[in-house]
Amino acid sequence: MNATGIGAAVRRKEDQRFITGKGQYTDDVNRAGQAYAAFVRSPHAHAEIRGIDTSAALAMPGVIAVLTGADLAADKIGGLICGWMIHSKDGSPMKAGAHPALAQGKVRYVGDHVAVVIAETALQARDAAEAVSVDYNVLPAVVDPAKVKGATAVHDVAPDNTVFSWQLGDKAGTDAAFASAAHVTRLDFINNRLVPNAIEPRAAVGDYDAGTDSFTLYTTSQNPHVARLVLSAFIGIAPENKLRVIAPDVGGGFGSKIFIYAEETVCVWAAKRVGRPVKWTADRTEAFLADAHGRDHVTRAELALDAKGKMLGLRVHTIANLGAYLSTFSSSVPTYLYAPLLSGQYDIPAIYAEVDGVYTNTAPVDAYRGAGRPEATFVVERLVEVAAREIGSDPVAFRKKNFVSKFPHQTPVIMNYDVGNYPAAMDKALELADYKGFARRKRESAKAGKLRGLGFSAYIEACGIAPSQAVGSLGAGVGLWESAEVRVNPTGSVEVLTGSHSHGQGHETTFAQLVSDRLGIGIDQVSVVHGDTDKVQFGMGTYGSRSGAVGMSAIVKALDKVIAKGRKVAAYVLEAAESDIEFKDGRFTVAGTDKGLAFGEVALQAYIAHKFSGQELEPGLKEGAFYDPTNFTFPAGVHICELEIDPDTGVARIDRWTAVDDFGTVINPMIVEGQVHGGIAQGVGQALLEGAHYDDEGQLVTASFMDYAMPRAGDLPSYTVGMTVTPCPSNPLGIKGCGEAGAIAAPPAVINAITDALGHEHVAMPATSQEIWRALQRMPTQMAAE
Amino acid sequence: MQPFTYVRASNVGDAVKALSRGAKLLAGGTTLYDLMKLRIERPERIIDINHLGELKHFDTSGERELVFGALARMSEVAADAGLVRDYPAISESLWRAASQQLRNMASLGGNLLQRTRCPYFRGGEPYACNKRDPGSGCAAAEGLDRGQALLGASPSCSAVYPGDFAAALVAFDAEIDVVGPGGERVLPFEELHREPADTPQKETTLEPGEMIVRIRIPVTPLGRASTFLKVRDRESYAFALASAAVALEMDGDVVRDARVAVGGLATRPWRARAAERLLIGRRFDESAARAAGEAALDGAIPGRSNAFRIELGIRTVTDALMTARQRA
Repeated sequence: MNATGIGAAVRRKEDQRFITGKGQYTDDVNRAGQAYAAFVRSPHAHAEIRGIDTSAALAMPGVIAVLTGADLAADKIGGLICGWMIHSKDGSPMKAGAHPALAQGKVRYVGDHVAVVIAETALQARDAAEAVSVDYNVLPAVVDPAKVKGATAVHDVAPDNTVFSWQLGDKAGTDAAFASAAHVTRLDFINNRLVPNAIEPRAAVGDYDAGTDSFTLYTTSQNPHVARLVLSAFIGIAPENKLRVIAPDVGGGFGSKIFIYAEETVCVWAAKRVGRPVKWTADRTEAFLADAHGRDHVTRAELALDAKGKMLGLRVHTIANLGAYLSTFSSSVPTYLYAPLLSGQYDIPAIYAEVDGVYTNTAPVDAYRGAGRPEATFVVERLVEVAAREIGSDPVAFRKKNFVSKFPHQTPVIMNYDVGNYPAAMDKALELADYKGFARRKRESAKAGKLRGLGFSAYIEACGIAPSQAVGSLGAGVGLWESAEVRVNPTGSVEVLTGSHSHGQGHETTFAQLVSDRLGIGIDQVSVVHGDTDKVQFGMGTYGSRSGAVGMSAIVKALDKVIAKGRKVAAYVLEAAESDIEFKDGRFTVAGTDKGLAFGEVALQAYIAHKFSGQELEPGLKEGAFYDPTNFTFPAGVHICELEIDPDTGVARIDRWTAVDDFGTVINPMIVEGQVHGGIAQGVGQALLEGAHYDDEGQLVTASFMDYAMPRAGDLPSYTVGMTVTPCPSNPLGIKGCGEAGAIAAPPAVINAITDALGHEHVAMPATSQEIWRALQRMPTQMAAE
Repeated sequence: MQPFTYVRASNVGDAVKALSRGAKLLAGGTTLYDLMKLRIERPERIIDINHLGELKHFDTSGERELVFGALARMSEVAADAGLVRDYPAISESLWRAASQQLRNMASLGGNLLQRTRCPYFRGGEPYACNKRDPGSGCAAAEGLDRGQALLGASPSCSAVYPGDFAAALVAFDAEIDVVGPGGERVLPFEELHREPADTPQKETTLEPGEMIVRIRIPVTPLGRASTFLKVRDRESYAFALASAAVALEMDGDVVRDARVAVGGLATRPWRARAAERLLIGRRFDESAARAAGEAALDGAIPGRSNAFRIELGIRTVTDALMTARQRA
């Protein structure tokens, strides 16, 4: 194996820069003459704006301008959009209310953008923002997604606050399966609302060049090309060729930086308005209030079994809180990213899902690590665990009995699983977790007065959302392919331009490893270029664990073209037939001879072009490719959580965590393991600690790290991570994707372990010590028996 | 953060002079900078005392008392071997606070003067807060009160005094040396913090211009069998839902002397003398510990969603006493 090629645990090239403070983030960008923006935000969850008095703010020191929704309208700047159309059961399109970048007539959540102050310094802008006087007529707020009907309408277009009533699957067939069932397991639960909390808050610098009438936006984006497309084609900032979007180093996204938000839009627009570059960097409170949140489902789920414990049908009704406005991809998350995963790893003949997307006076909700798939996995893996307990079956045997075993497997909910080996992952996980020793460990815990529980999560996800034709038919406003360009320099070093975007994933290393592997050069000779619409022609960005499966496949395609061209060049130089040129380990050789050229020599020959006619072969060595996969990829695996509860305090301490994942081909096992670790931490955060909570008036009462509990090292065990590999057949590398698996798998594993320890199912997420302590008080007989 | 004038003090006299003219004292900065970023504190002048070597020294080997300069860092004091051995409650109260990074910076004096974590105080507008803006009202009275004080609250304020170290100090009869424009004076630590009453904005009995320069703890055999127990929502970097600093001196099974203080439950560091009286001269067992816990929480007034912290406080005191007993 090449020391820096595919499969090598190479240390991340970019980390030296990041951990020594030499990264260049959006807030590090400073343009000459730069001014600063501060946003006036609504203190009310729902109110009419009767008037905005900016005079006091305008009179304050350093203030350059105070702009409102009226100014946006005067410049004909359009509203923010939702790029995925969902149709209700009755065929009607979703009811998308207008989403102006600065409020026009109404505010709809605490933190909604009312006006922007531009001033010489950030502090002057902030002071002046406090001096903007807004006359509000406060309206009743609706906060609970299960109580939106009859509440004051958030948007006039949706009088009952319902954006869509969507369905997937065969209702009649599923009802028939339930009618014939020997046993039905039912669960009601809430998938708790989360705040993404990337370490770097969102930021933007808008710049306008009057000489060329063109804009540049530096921003914290996971997908700068999509941002440019939306800002240009829908919001109307400038034609695409007059707008450059640069996403430099970005400190984490987890989905929250996919979306095109108000603040970034306002900065780039205001730069022309005031004739100065405009910078805004969110503080942490703004991140809590105005970043798109995640999850927030209210669900009733039912699983039908026959007398032998085989699954017959699954029925799900979910109310998905979409917040006060439809964020960029919000409508797709609780629909096509959710219900098609409800078959889990199981062979379920009939599935029917209904999802009501609703408006509330809360921050918009959109994709957050896993996006729809954690919610689906929670439904399936909680139902499966509870069903096994109810029918008195071992949870492992019950799962194995119902696992999909033949591939490809067509589920009743769109997905066609291409490949997998679910029992193998389960067996490996059982072994690594020392499942046989669990009974003994449980007895030992009991002796010490502790309750020990073990929970499984056999998850599946769908990554690399594709192909474009298919997602288009499901309502996506964009294609979901990826682009790549490989530029070989005359000296043989390589620049890879990719439409994927790295904001913590380590692309600068893994993508370079791929090039190293294919071209036989060291990774130091490879630079990965991303995040600038002037450098990379187009790309769809990074989310949904797609960069490996889709982004790297595009690079493979471009590399194949480079090698093919190199073969032609080598043929001329070596005076051999092209068909006799072999390329291996970084050398082009004439088959059966010792004649050959190193990759770098061929690169030089391609550029000096002395040995071939420019009419027969174009000089240079640069190739591009667009790659559209043939299917989703289906990472899957088994996580086992074993924990101990102190019945006096309700504190759950995770003792062991075993993760066995099938990500297909692994490029860099160290990076993959890191992704698994981080994902589990976020999933455990959801299960045990995190919960965004609005009070009845719509105030976010968890708007700081004081009251929103992020997981910390002390909350987490050392993980045991294992892999099984069934290469993905739908892309050339066999990659499935690994970025979200941990966050998807973890929540049900934790809750299944807690409920196993408690002996009943009534515990909600986040299962804080208080929640568990209360759950313990609900089981007096059980407690007395012990 | 607002712009401010930064001055470095070259001696204590300098600092006191600046302090009496309205400057804010900068020690570790772990509280002050936070509050400035939240725009709760908006000082125009900051006087930095970090270079005053005379305030950094601490000595735990004295025969009569332990002496701590106000600038001694929490992490250094917490790790002091003598303290760990002879006064575990003090060491534990320091290392269970904040995070390692914060403890490396935070000073003992600054720790004592840290301000409440009440979310309505720190949340700023639109929340009313009599402590931040006297006379504006108290948003916690109608708001979420899970974290509000059960002991020592008034209608105008129920903000918890959050410090851990203070619970240990109040248990061990510490004194503080204070320097002000009028010279130096000694203040029993228990008299430093005030209950909110009608003036929650006045948190201490320090006069304008006064600064803490030293903390002194009388040497006592109670130290060895002591502990500080902190119960919180998370294992690290969280404030106490309830805490207890306790110490026992035993004569066989009989308690010769006892100290009980609670933290995280009251508007100020809270010594529970009634609990001590119950223990002294009695045979120690779990029911005696429980009775002391109940006495410590005597007079607690629950709100809408913090009543559980009364039982939690009782159990915290009980558990802490059981630990102390093992060390006696």
